[in-house]
Amino acid sequence: MIQDYLILSIILFCIGMLGVISRRNVFTVFMSIELMLNAANLAFVTFARLHESMDGHVLAMMVMAVAAAEAALVLAVIILINKHKGKLDTNIFSLLKG
Amino acid sequence: MEHINTYIGLVPLFPLIGALVLGLMHMLTCKTDKYPDKLYGIIACIGPILAFCVSLILFFKLRGMPADSRYLIHDVFTWFAVGDLHVTMGFLADPLSSLMILFVTFIGSLIHIYSAGYMAGEENFGKYFAYLNLFLGSMLILVLGSGPVVMFVGWEGVGLCSYLLISFYCKDTDNVLAGNKAFIVNRIGDLGFVLGMSFLFWAIGSGGFDYHSLRENAHHLAPSVGLIVCLLLFVGACGKSAQIPLFVWLPDAMAGPTPVSALIHAATMVTAGVYMVARFSFIYAHVPTAGTIIAWVGILTALLAAFFGMFQKDIKKILAYSTVSQLGYMFAAVGITAYSAGIFHVFTHAFFKALLFLGAGSVIYALHHQQDVWKMGGLKEKMPTTYKTMMIGALALAGCPLFSGFFSKDEILFSALATGHTGIWAIGVLVAGMTAYYTFRMIFLVFHGKPRDQKAFDHAHEPPAVMTVPLIILAIGAAFAGVLNLPSLFGGSLAVSHWLAPSLVEHHPHVSVWIEITAILASVIAFAIGITIAYKKFADGAVEPEFSGFAKWGANKFYIDELYNCVIVQPYKTTGSLISAFIEPKVTDLPIKFFTWLYKKLGASFKVFQVGYVRVYAIYMVIGLSLMSLFLSQTIN
Amino acid sequence: MFEYGLSFMIFLPLLTGLAMLLLPLNKEVARSLGFFASIIILILGVNLFIGFNGSGGMQYVENYLWIESFGVNYGLGIDGISLMVLMTGAVLFPMVFSLFKNKSKGYYANLLIAQGAMIGAICATDLILFYIFWEVMLLPIFFMIGLYGGEKKLSATIKITLYTIAGSLLMLAALIYVGASYHAQFGKWTFDIVQLAKLDLGGGSAVLAFIMFMMAFAIKIPLFPFHTWLPDAYTEAPTPTTFILSAVMAKIGIYGVIRFIIPVFEIEFTRFAILLSLSGAAGMMYCGIAAIGQKDIKRMLAFSSASHMGIIALGVFCMNVQALTGSLFQIAAHATSTGVLFLLAGLIEERMQTRKIDQLGGIAYQAPIFATFFAIALLASVGLPGTSGFIGEFLIILGAVKFNGFIGFLAATSLIIGVCYMLWMFQRVFFEKSNERTEKFKDFSLTEVLTFLPVILLILAMGIFPQPFIKKIEPSAQLHIAQLYQSEKPEVATITTNILTHKKQ
Repeated sequence: MIQDYLILSIILFCIGMLGVISRRNVFTVFMSIELMLNAANLAFVTFARLHESMDGHVLAMMVMAVAAAEAALVLAVIILINKHKGKLDTNIFSLLKG
Repeated sequence: MEHINTYIGLVPLFPLIGALVLGLMHMLTCKTDKYPDKLYGIIACIGPILAFCVSLILFFKLRGMPADSRYLIHDVFTWFAVGDLHVTMGFLADPLSSLMILFVTFIGSLIHIYSAGYMAGEENFGKYFAYLNLFLGSMLILVLGSGPVVMFVGWEGVGLCSYLLISFYCKDTDNVLAGNKAFIVNRIGDLGFVLGMSFLFWAIGSGGFDYHSLRENAHHLAPSVGLIVCLLLFVGACGKSAQIPLFVWLPDAMAGPTPVSALIHAATMVTAGVYMVARFSFIYAHVPTAGTIIAWVGILTALLAAFFGMFQKDIKKILAYSTVSQLGYMFAAVGITAYSAGIFHVFTHAFFKALLFLGAGSVIYALHHQQDVWKMGGLKEKMPTTYKTMMIGALALAGCPLFSGFFSKDEILFSALATGHTGIWAIGVLVAGMTAYYTFRMIFLVFHGKPRDQKAFDHAHEPPAVMTVPLIILAIGAAFAGVLNLPSLFGGSLAVSHWLAPSLVEHHPHVSVWIEITAILASVIAFAIGITIAYKKFADGAVEPEFSGFAKWGANKFYIDELYNCVIVQPYKTTGSLISAFIEPKVTDLPIKFFTWLYKKLGASFKVFQVGYVRVYAIYMVIGLSLMSLFLSQTIN
Repeated sequence: MFEYGLSFMIFLPLLTGLAMLLLPLNKEVARSLGFFASIIILILGVNLFIGFNGSGGMQYVENYLWIESFGVNYGLGIDGISLMVLMTGAVLFPMVFSLFKNKSKGYYANLLIAQGAMIGAICATDLILFYIFWEVMLLPIFFMIGLYGGEKKLSATIKITLYTIAGSLLMLAALIYVGASYHAQFGKWTFDIVQLAKLDLGGGSAVLAFIMFMMAFAIKIPLFPFHTWLPDAYTEAPTPTTFILSAVMAKIGIYGVIRFIIPVFEIEFTRFAILLSLSGAAGMMYCGIAAIGQKDIKRMLAFSSASHMGIIALGVFCMNVQALTGSLFQIAAHATSTGVLFLLAGLIEERMQTRKIDQLGGIAYQAPIFATFFAIALLASVGLPGTSGFIGEFLIILGAVKFNGFIGFLAATSLIIGVCYMLWMFQRVFFEKSNERTEKFKDFSLTEVLTFLPVILLILAMGIFPQPFIKKIEPSAQLHIAQLYQSEKPEVATITTNILTHKKQ
């Protein structure tokens, strides 16, 4: 039972991870990150249930709150990026290239 | 308590105070209004004269004491004390040092007076006298020091003053180079001195590092260590007293003003080495091997320098080589443990050599700094006082019977013969002949014959009284100083030798009168031959010869300067340049250059991972985290 | 106040320097503030020197537990070994502030911070505390050379930093090893130097730790062949920095060897002493010969300084009281003489806008007072009797002769080597003909005379009356050496008795 939830959480996390790694559209990358966060939330809640403690729930709520705040910030950043560069492709940023 | 005497410290103190006063006066005013030269001259002469007076007092005080306990000590303060090493800044007046300070201060005072005339009108008059006073102070510390370390203070001090005075006309590079040469060669000797002192200290110094304690402990000295100590100290003496192989600096040192050559490079400083060996006679007397080496080095130096002296044309260089040669005699004397004979020759030599130099100074002064003997001639009429006094000096130097040099030199040669050093004696006699030859070659060329440079001759004149009076006084000394140590053959009683006896460890050989007469006759014959040849060749209008063959080698001093330059100086400098131009930037920097290169290379090779795309960094992260998880799960299980 | 005298001397300049960095001061105010602070330190230092009694033990001790779990103390104290080093750090700084007026605020602040850290390193009796000050000491040097240095300042900065950091890190590792060994042997943590001396180290790892420890000091001194940072750093650094580098910081390297290595690593020290002293002698000769090939007066002095450090280090490795006392005395003597030479060379550069020896000449006629002061410092540096340089050099040579005749001979060659390059430089800078440039050379102003006069007098006083100084150093040196020779550790005992008996024959 617990295992199933955890496997689902891992699958979700991996999907998110693959999204971050492989997609170039900024929006998609952002959504993938959200997906990873939610996968983590699921794992938190699962373990909270397992240990019969409220800590996991608290953390899950916390992550959601942070994710919401982050979404507001990131969307604004994305709009700015679009304004400046006219593109939503992550490949246009390679300032760290050695 | 009766041996404590606080006057002794005053002897070096007076000239040192004079040096300080003169130096400050000169330093503070030389750019603005100058004090008159007279003032400097008077202040300069006060110190030496006062020192001479105190020396006289000390001398008579010592004379009043019983012969076997004649010494006075003044320990001023503990200089430094570390572990067993206790060095006291103390002064010791005993027969040996009191004799030395007497003539050092006497001749020093005369030369100060002479200088006031000779240097008149010079630009750095005050500086000159400050240095000269400083020299005298250092020399007196050297002589009076109660232990080797205090002696070393004076030893280095006179070296410094010698450097400063040789390079006195420091606008001319050659003079400064001569000064550098003197200082550096002296330092080579000092290396030996310091090492010798160190070995001596570790051998017998823990009971006190002054002459008294050392003398008492001298019998503990193992012969092998004793030999090392003796030879190392002798290296020091070689440097200071210009013996083979360190004699090269003294002829160049003539770049200084002539009174300086007279005082420092003839009468006093250069004899410090002889004094030192005599001072350490309590060690040297026990190490006959070292003594033999010293004697041979000395007599060979005498021969070599006399040979060079025969071909010189600069009047001061002739005298310089003669000084080296005479110093060789002195070392031969102390080497064969005839210490009192050596010291007596130091004493007489100081008079006649100072006289000769000052006389040469008068000639140079009269001829406006002409030093080439081949451009002089016939000055006998123009400068009668100088001629007469120099003649006396020359006779004394050449060993003319009844002049002072004759007695002292004869004493040395006699001792050599009496102690069985026949080889040294034979060379000594040969050198005596050569000495007579080159001395009178100089006299004849300068004063006899016809003037070779008419214009200079016309302007020549006798120098002022301030210069001639010291000449006359010195001439009296040069003529009669020998009387002080008349051997019994001439009805004397070897007064100086007896006076010195308590300070020295020596044995007077008792040999037949015939040996003494043989020695005297040989010397007289050598003198006569030398002077005759000189007379025939130079008395009447000789012209400057072109040297060829062996003589050319002699005139060029066997190219020893060039040899040293090639073998030591140039390689040394080249090594320095090589290090700064090549080794330092190219070789020793290699490790650090290697590391910076390595970092750069490593950085460049890791650069390929930095593609700049966020998602690639995410991959790295995922890989890293996966590996870490894998590792963790492995270790936990 | 004297209960906390040492802390005060450390933190007054340190905090003043930091405050100076933060506050918006103009450079004149900053200079005055710095001068004032350094004068206070000077007074405190002199007072401390007078109050110091020559009993050989630690004095002015302050000891507080700092990090309990690792037994780290805030421990300060001085004895005869640190006294002279401390004096160089405390006494010479006002000169810098009074001579060089056109530096920026940050510069003066850095000087003060450097002074505080140096005094801290000298007074620390706890290894960790020492290490911290040791590292802090480097920071201001880094900024001073990097920001205010000469043409090639960057490479010089990188060189000195890389070298010293590498050394320090090795030292850190060795230091942890020492602490851990103590913990293993005695069951508790401490870094107090007195406690650590009881350690019985041995075996390969101790040798490694010794080498690492030694490396840090060897780089700082610098011992041959770790000296390559020195000429660049000394030449490129602004004069006051060169001054404190040569006069104080290099000495802390020597001090570190005496204070920390000799008591802790007795066995390794006695075993490597010959090798180390040879390295000191080699450095002395190599740098001395290199000095003669230099064309830049400051670079020449840098090599001369390295050469002298070689012989001072040699004295430490000779393991007898004469040589050790000589080295400790020479630390102060060298700080004054070479320090003054660097400052005067800096003044020449400021006035003539050049450091090239070829372009100078004849300064002695234009500036007799300047030349006299230079000459006195120079003579002290070549060890002429009557100046401070002689006493130390003589004692070192004397001790070296006992340690090993050959090394004694090598040590004595410093008499010749020093005089060669110094005279040659003096000839070309002060004698010979003056040129257009040097004809305008101004002699000392009154301020400059007043700045240099005390140090010049000190040089002479230390040469003529060295006993008051030696009296305070010698008991500690005696104690230090006695501990080495009375060591119960068998290996040390055999080596030291060998030295003793070898000389007895």
